[in-house]
Formats: sequence, C-alpha cells, structure tokens
Amino acid sequence: MSQHDKLNPFSTIPHLERINQCIQCGTCSGSCPLSDLMDHAPREMFALIREGAYDEVLHSNTPWFCVSCYACMVRCPREIPVTDLMYAFKEVITKQGTAPRNHKMPDMYKAFSRNIKDTGKITESLVMVRYGMKHPVDALKNIPLAVKMQIRGRLELKAQKVADPKSFARLFELTEIPKDKP
Amino acid sequence: MKICFYPGCSFATSAGYKESTEAVCRKLDIELNQIPDWNCCGATVMFGENKLRATALAARQFALVQTMGFEELVTGCNACYATLRKAARLLTGDQELFQKTQEVLQNLGLELDRIPRIRHLLEVLMEAIPDSASDKYKTLSVGAYYGCQLTRPYQDLDKGDYPEILERFLSRIGFSVKEHSAGTQCCGASHAVIYKNECRGLSTRIIREIASKGAQVITTVCPLCQFNLDQAQTRDNEPRLPVTYFTQLAGLALGLAPADLGLNKLLVSAEKVLTRP
Repeated sequence: MSQHDKLNPFSTIPHLERINQCIQCGTCSGSCPLSDLMDHAPREMFALIREGAYDEVLHSNTPWFCVSCYACMVRCPREIPVTDLMYAFKEVITKQGTAPRNHKMPDMYKAFSRNIKDTGKITESLVMVRYGMKHPVDALKNIPLAVKMQIRGRLELKAQKVADPKSFARLFELTEIPKDKP
Repeated sequence: MKICFYPGCSFATSAGYKESTEAVCRKLDIELNQIPDWNCCGATVMFGENKLRATALAARQFALVQTMGFEELVTGCNACYATLRKAARLLTGDQELFQKTQEVLQNLGLELDRIPRIRHLLEVLMEAIPDSASDKYKTLSVGAYYGCQLTRPYQDLDKGDYPEILERFLSRIGFSVKEHSAGTQCCGASHAVIYKNECRGLSTRIIREIASKGAQVITTVCPLCQFNLDQAQTRDNEPRLPVTYFTQLAGLALGLAPADLGLNKLLVSAEKVLTRP
C-alpha cells in the first residue's frame, strides 16, 4: 500500500494499515447478509485498496449495502474492524462526492441526517417524505404499510423535536467538513 | 431503582414498546427518568457521514446524563445501544476527539467530563425481574430474536453469535423457549425499508427458522427488528408469528393486562396465541 500513499484518498482513515493483515479468507464476505448485492464483497475492498485501485473503491456500492450487522467484524480471524472501515469508507466517499448515483442509500442517509439537523430527532414519516421526493415510486409503495401503521396508532406525522432546534442545529454547523474540490 | 432512560426516536411509535416498558417498570418499582431534551443518536447513518458529528450527537446525551447526576444510561434500542457505545469507546480512547467533542458541546452550553456506562434495557430488567413471575404461560413457546447490535460488535453482554441472555430472561419469567439458529441473523435493518424486495429473504429466513422449531411467538429487543419481522409477514402461504417485545411478555408474566402493554399495535395479531387457555 505504501507506494500509493500519496494518491490514496483513504489514507486519512485511522488504522487503515490494518487491512494489510487481511489474509483474503473471505469470512467477512461469507458472513455478510447483503454481499450478493455488492459489486465487491468486503474482502475485495481491502484487496483493491492494497492494489491501489482507489477509484474502484470510491465508486463501489459495497459500503452503501453494509447494514452494520457487525457479523464480519466479530468473525474476522485477523480482528480487522471491517464494519468500522465501511463507515470510514463512506465518510471519505461522501466527502469526495463519489457515491454511486443509482444507489438509494445515500439519499436515504441524506434525508435521515437532514431530519436530525432540522429537529434533533427522527420522525420516520418525515424521513420517508424527504426521501420520497427523490424516489417517489418507493415512497408510494410504502403507503399501504403506512395505512396499516396509522390504524394501529403507530404513524407519527407530527415532528418529534428537541426543545430548541435552532440552537441544536449549531452542532451540525460546528462539525461541517468542507467538500473536496473535484 | 432509578434509571436514566434514553428512549431513542422509534420508542414512542413502536408496537407497544413504550407502553409495555412503562407498565413493567411501574410494576417493578423502577423509576424511568427520561433524559429531557434527548436527541437522535445518529444511528447507522452518522458515522458514515462525519465522525466528529456522530460522536458529538451521541455525546450530547452523555452531557445531559451528567447534568441529571446519573452514571448510567439505559436504552431499549439495539441501534442506539451500539451507536452510543461506539461513541463512548471512541471518546474514551481518543483524547483529541474528546476535546473537539467537548468544544462542540460547550458551544451548545453543555459540559462533558465523564462518559456514562451504557446499558440495554434487557440487562436491567434481567436483574430486576423476579423468578417465575407466573406459570400461566409455561406452554407458550417463544423464539428469542436478538438482531445484530445487542451482542455485536462488543460481545461483552453475551456471545456475538448464539447468545443466551434473552432465552434466560424468557425462562425466568415462565415462558417455554424454543431453540433455533436465527437469533442474531440480520433482518436487513434500514435497508429493508427501501430495498424491500432485496431484503425480503432475510426476514423470511428468520421467521421460517423460528416457526419450524415450533415457536408460536417471536420476541425482540429492538424497534427496527420488531418492525421488519412484523411487516414482512404479509404473504398468505407463510407462517405467521406475532412479533412481540420482551417487555410485553414480561408484562403478561407479571399479570398485566394485554391492553396496557400495547399488544394491539402489532401487525400480526398476538390475540389468539396469548389468550388461548
């Protein structure tokens, strides 16, 4: 990995060198509930970075299909924090703006994050409405379920809020990272 | 006993988690002190967006816990539990991150000096609930479902795969426990909401496995697990098992009425199973 360090957009990730201990056994990929949907199973992500194929990793859908079940992480024989690395990859990818455009999760995460910024708390229906502005078909498909939830008193349409949302939003302003120029 | 409680965003609208937790705690004389002005922990989203922001979101709770004078925070949601613990570990091991987080919180008028211990409601009730609360349900077979983020990644509450704490809890309160292999298999979490078709197999596999071992009811310890397993059972040719919270079963064992435990909020009704003689 060292010869590519200068070009490595992931080099800022703490303990990235741990991926050098990966023996490519595939336990992570075999433990992953959604590896079938990934363009590169977790094991391959480490191989790609070691090979310097950074672009492939930056545009991969893999971190976006990580459900955060931590099965890979507890089973890795080399104790590589696989799930934590998937989070760190997403952070780099978000900063670089290279998340795959046809993947729905980045839009879901944006809607989720925005809901927290606005009100401090998540109101699921409002996250779905914001997400639905980009993915209307998906949102419409959820209406029958929303009706069932409504019947059972489980659909909250009114925003849950912290006491002072304006002051709370400062937490987001203070932690803003400037986006890298393309 | 007094506990400092962090409900998380899904608690109030979940299928009776709030009702049953409050009722069981009243019965057991546990004072639930909800953190006033709590905020979202950031769940599985924020660490993929911005580490400092994720840590600060979680740590805002820690500062509020400190203000309340508690040393421990209790939550009933697996995602909150794992996320808050992750932030707590990072803050404990990384002085620079701790200082930056303190600065953010100071800007919001909050002080953070110490990190509380984070516990799951299951741990707390396990200690507080009396043995064999009732023998009324000893023929009712329950399959325990843990989901992912209770025992993983830290594996200190119980083993990461095939844990037993929930089975012990259910036996203690007088239910018949059915062993199965799906306890910590992933339900698809938030991906199941928008990648519905792709994730359907995950919940189907869990429900089929638990049903095939003879359980009549599934019990969960997390709002998103409950939601995913409950809403997945819409096809006629599949087994249908009510997906309860462990607090609802605890409430029944303690002699509380189903109506006070929010059991009417489940999508797959538990009425038939729970009221049979």
